Amino acid sequence: MARSNFSVLTILSVTLLLPVLSLSFSPDSPSDRRLLVLLDDLSLKSSLSIFFNSLKSRGFDLDFKLADDPKLALQRYGQYLYDGLILFSPSIERFGGTLDLAAVLDFVDSGHDLLIAADSSASDLIKSVATECGVDFDEDPSALVIDHKSYAVAGTEGDHTLIAADDFIESDVLLGKNKIEAPVLFKGIAHSLNAANTLVLKVLSASPSAYSANPSSKLSSPPSLTGSSISLVSVIQARNNARIMITGSLDMFSNRFFRSSVQKAGSPKKYDKSGNEQFVTELSKWVFHERGHLKAVNLRHNKAGETDEPAMYRIKDDLDFSVEIYEWSGKSWEPYVADDVQVQFYMMSPYVLKTLSNDKKGLYHTSFKVPDVYGVFQFKVEYNRLGYTSLLLSKQIPVRPFRHNEYERFITAAFPYYGASFTMMAGFFIFSFVYLYHK
Amino acid sequence: MAGSLEGFLVLIVAALISSSSFASSIFQPISDSHRSAALELFTPRDGSFFSLEETYEALRTFEVLGIDKKSDIDTAACQSVLEILGSPSSALKDLFYALKVNGILKCDIEKDVFEGVASRLQATVSGAGALLDFYYSVGGLVLVKDQTSKDDLYLADAEGVFGSIKALSQSDGRWRYNSNNPESSTFAAGLALEALSGVVSLSSSEIDQSLIGTTKNDILKLFDSIEKYDDGAFYFDEKLVDAHEHQGPLSTTSSVVRGLTAFAAVTSGSLNLPSGKVLGLARFLLGIGIPGDAKDLFNQIDSLASLESNSVSIPLILSLPATVLSLTKKDALEVKVNTVLGSNAPPLTVKLVGVFRSGSKDTTLIEGQELKFNPESTVYALDALPKSIDVGKYTFVFEMVLHDPDHLNLYATGGQTRIPIFVTGVVKVDSAEISVLDSDLGSTETKKIDLAGENTVSLSANHLQKLRLSFQLSTSLGHAFKPHQAILKLTHETKVEHSFVVGSSGKQFEINLDFLGLVEKFFYLSGKYNVQLTVGDAAMENSFLKAIGHLDLDLPEPPEKAPQPPPQPLDQNLRYGPKAEITHIFRVPEKLPPKELSHAFLGLSLFPLLGFLVGLLRLGVNLKNFPSSSVPAMFAVLFHLGIAAVLLLYALFWLKWDLFTTLKALGFLGAFLMFVGHRILSHLASISSKLKSA
Repeated sequence: MARSNFSVLTILSVTLLLPVLSLSFSPDSPSDRRLLVLLDDLSLKSSLSIFFNSLKSRGFDLDFKLADDPKLALQRYGQYLYDGLILFSPSIERFGGTLDLAAVLDFVDSGHDLLIAADSSASDLIKSVATECGVDFDEDPSALVIDHKSYAVAGTEGDHTLIAADDFIESDVLLGKNKIEAPVLFKGIAHSLNAANTLVLKVLSASPSAYSANPSSKLSSPPSLTGSSISLVSVIQARNNARIMITGSLDMFSNRFFRSSVQKAGSPKKYDKSGNEQFVTELSKWVFHERGHLKAVNLRHNKAGETDEPAMYRIKDDLDFSVEIYEWSGKSWEPYVADDVQVQFYMMSPYVLKTLSNDKKGLYHTSFKVPDVYGVFQFKVEYNRLGYTSLLLSKQIPVRPFRHNEYERFITAAFPYYGASFTMMAGFFIFSFVYLYHK
Repeated sequence: MAGSLEGFLVLIVAALISSSSFASSIFQPISDSHRSAALELFTPRDGSFFSLEETYEALRTFEVLGIDKKSDIDTAACQSVLEILGSPSSALKDLFYALKVNGILKCDIEKDVFEGVASRLQATVSGAGALLDFYYSVGGLVLVKDQTSKDDLYLADAEGVFGSIKALSQSDGRWRYNSNNPESSTFAAGLALEALSGVVSLSSSEIDQSLIGTTKNDILKLFDSIEKYDDGAFYFDEKLVDAHEHQGPLSTTSSVVRGLTAFAAVTSGSLNLPSGKVLGLARFLLGIGIPGDAKDLFNQIDSLASLESNSVSIPLILSLPATVLSLTKKDALEVKVNTVLGSNAPPLTVKLVGVFRSGSKDTTLIEGQELKFNPESTVYALDALPKSIDVGKYTFVFEMVLHDPDHLNLYATGGQTRIPIFVTGVVKVDSAEISVLDSDLGSTETKKIDLAGENTVSLSANHLQKLRLSFQLSTSLGHAFKPHQAILKLTHETKVEHSFVVGSSGKQFEINLDFLGLVEKFFYLSGKYNVQLTVGDAAMENSFLKAIGHLDLDLPEPPEKAPQPPPQPLDQNLRYGPKAEITHIFRVPEKLPPKELSHAFLGLSLFPLLGFLVGLLRLGVNLKNFPSSSVPAMFAVLFHLGIAAVLLLYALFWLKWDLFTTLKALGFLGAFLMFVGHRILSHLASISSKLKSA
């Protein structure tokens, strides 16, 4: 009885899991599919609906949960249930279920993506998640980003905490090809980047006149964060290509800010729609691997004029090297076109470092002469570009010196010596007659 | 322990701050943005919605907002209404929503269809036990009655039905869904009140007043459990957290509002509900803004519509188009009073009761003043701000006074409304100076700076000197002005920044930087510092960020244990840019003499052979000793051929053969040569010995 129950359960769970597994993240289609959205309040689902709907329309499978839901879990039986986590629960002090700081970090460490939005109610938990990602939120819990020069002009927002930010990072891969014309509305808390962390990037920074302080109390000591060192939105691409986006404003995602018109103080131009929707949508495409995800395949090398890959090169051989690089467009792999992909011929340090030329169809190639140093070399492609996943390829190949019979045989400079020995031999031959038969 | 206490204090401070900043937010009535949102959210898929419930929600929302979209949905919806009403087996809920949709669309339905539906509903009412059954069937009957104008449609046992619905109520004013389920719910209370109001309107005779009275009591009890936000918004929330049937605050509140207004509409006499709470409910519903969800939007709009014309008290919403008033643009103070759906308020006067400078709550700056009503734009306005109002942050207190005393009970105005107002203006910046002082206060150089224009002051100082910056700020009325942000920033070449708050006394702002005390803070970094001054405030229209110039600072050498400056973020181009190309430098081949020289010496090396041959000829060489007999001659020829072969072997070795092939051949040749050589040499030796002996 118990056994039959068990088998029914397994069949059930297998049939339930199958469609889930087929939807999940794979190296062949690296976009995330299943996202867990943690909210403070289910009403956020409706006030941020444009953002969520745009995710849904792009094929994401959103699972909304309250952040203190006692059944929260990121993984079951050692398998992650989600590809990405959206933390829209700034005020949560402790997650429900088995989720905690370590579980979130493990989730990222295993290559999954994370989107964090905080606001003035940000809890220590959310701040410490951000700190672990290399981003430090202002410690003062009452501080907001204030900017008396580039605030958004609005009839009912007088304290200049509604920022119209337009200091974007210059990167097509992060923010899309279309330039974001209208400023982005931001209302929330400031963060700064940890200088020791080289992976974190400021995507949207505050203007030089911004500062982080409590707008309703007098400023007695200098604010800890001022000027353009304040980051409003930051992203991190970890070494395992997990992507993280952190912002101090949850309102940035709201329907209200998406639809709102915006006019930056001191600028005569009024935009009917803020840049928020474009900015947030484009950046979320990046975070969830719909853009900027590269793969390199078919790394090949051969002697010039041959097609087969040799097991070994001789010094001073001429060789051809090629590799194919593709970018994931969200639906298919498209050829990646760039003129800064480089290959290194490397043994302890690069002996040759050459930029590859491409044929606009994803094939990168170059040719060079093997250095006259023998040993075990590597072909190395290290491609780290802002916003793109990093490519690290290497292929080992030994290089040998000349064989003894591969040196030059008849050296012109030695002709006198050759001549001398052969005349000597001819003389000897003649002498042998003279010596033996002379009378 | 200390940490937790600190955390607690921080929490309290945060709570205080948030409560003070939200204490008086502004609620705007329903506007055109709601209309466009409704059109976006309620988009029929292929001409029809999924269910009749959704169709009803869309139609009702459009009806309230005054959007004419009926024709788009009309045919498909009416068809499904007809199907449902005609079928004897359709679900009660579908029947109810079909009738609701028909109430708006007025589909063409036969009279006997209604008859059948009415009798079915009558039967359900008398046999019902669960709240939802009562709700749908009684509600359905009311709808049938409205749509057929059949005045003789009555509930047979109205008081009995009333009693059985009432039996499900709990002592705290909430209701149970059915008698088996002990869990009570606020959402259900709203449904029950709506059902009860239906029973009252369907009853042929007056319902017992005591029953009505106890229900009114239940409502009052229900309002005891109301919850409150800091900004004066009231809402109901479902205590019971059952994930399956969980209703959010919005749907719970709107259910109660619908029930309350429906019940108040059919009963006579006042409910004695505080009007503040009704206003608070309206504020909650408006405070949501524009929901992004169709269901939420329907709940918001529908319950606001029932508040718009209820008999308890109609909330009036005071709103300001702008709370930022500019003194330079001479903005007038404008106030609008509307009902929740944005229609005009009854005749009333808006009074400005007091104006308080934020931070000091005790003294009002002006006495009560009436705002002028402009009937065309329906705006109450104060033409010019009182003279005594300078730039800054204020709290304005408004009060609505209804003209008609009868309206006092009909409308909820909520007493005084406090609204924070920013009055902005241009602040005058004067007599700005920067100077480097010696420690004995003898000024070495003082430079005037123009904070309105560009400055490129260049100063130099050492660690024994001081930097002094001063300027004056005054408002257009000549008062002192204290901006929120007055920060002097020194930035070193290595991007290490130091900020200082510029202090003030009256109009005069001054900061003295004594470098002797700052040496450690500056990390002993000598060199060029850029000086930047930022002055800004929410009320200041000319907030500025000015680069003043630069300061060459000469600080002493750092001692061994001096703190290191914090690391600065790396340049992104350095990390992400392409690297410089590397090409391998090959070893240079050895230097060799030119070809011609080698060939010349090759020619020279032939001369000795020629000399040798010439010498032989000159000596008169002969070969007379060559054996004449045939056998030794053959050996002699073979011997010399062998020598020639060995020499040829050398040539071959040089040209292409390797050592092993050569040695092998040499072995055979050597043996052969030894044999023939021995023969010919011994023959020659015997000849010569014969000669000697002869």
